[in-house]
Amino acid sequence: MARILIPTALRQFAEKHDNVELPGATVGDVLHALTTRFPDLKKNLYSDEGKLRSFVNVYLNDEDIRYINKESSPVTDSDVLSIVPSIAGGKHA
Amino acid sequence: MINIERNPWREMVNHAQAAYPNECCGAMIGSVDGDNKTVTCALALDNVSQGSQRARYELRPEDLLRADREARAQKLDLIGIYHSHPDCGAYFSETDLKNSCPWYSFVVLSIQNGKFDHANSWLPNAEQTQAEKEELTWPES
Repeated sequence: MARILIPTALRQFAEKHDNVELPGATVGDVLHALTTRFPDLKKNLYSDEGKLRSFVNVYLNDEDIRYINKESSPVTDSDVLSIVPSIAGGKHA
Repeated sequence: MINIERNPWREMVNHAQAAYPNECCGAMIGSVDGDNKTVTCALALDNVSQGSQRARYELRPEDLLRADREARAQKLDLIGIYHSHPDCGAYFSETDLKNSCPWYSFVVLSIQNGKFDHANSWLPNAEQTQAEKEELTWPES
């Protein structure tokens, strides 16, 4: 099973776990298993249209999944998934 | 509420003043007890905005991943992001809101003529449509 690290603010929706091991052959499978086990996480990670929110990046070990096979990227038992937001801003609109 | 301890606060202010007239950005690491957050470590990160850094900042996700790993290694939490507004108030701008995420406290430091003036902390929602002001304290506040 792959390990997925839970960001601090999302642990309240994941029974306070800071990481969990979940089954799945692909990144998408593991994310599905995550939101199935902790349904309250879903609205934090996915939009109403069922897509990962625009600010959500998923890393498979050190690689952004957008640059490999996105949610179809295969995972193995030794892999670690991290959820990392995109953050930017500035003083003027 | 969020409280920033003396050392990280000094580092954040120094970073913001050194970056002036550009915006700076960084991560805040510490502990969480219910709704009370304590920042014990500030991590200055690169502003990688391709536009004018006088009015924009952008974090590399890889840097945030590294900050999260550093926090976990110290048994601490990544609890917030800070950035500066040079010659401008510490409000949460439309640009800040549209590029935010609801998982962290966002501390904005107002730097006026190169010197720290005031700061606020903000909690944006998941839809990136509004941000609630969060009580913020630091040693001299």
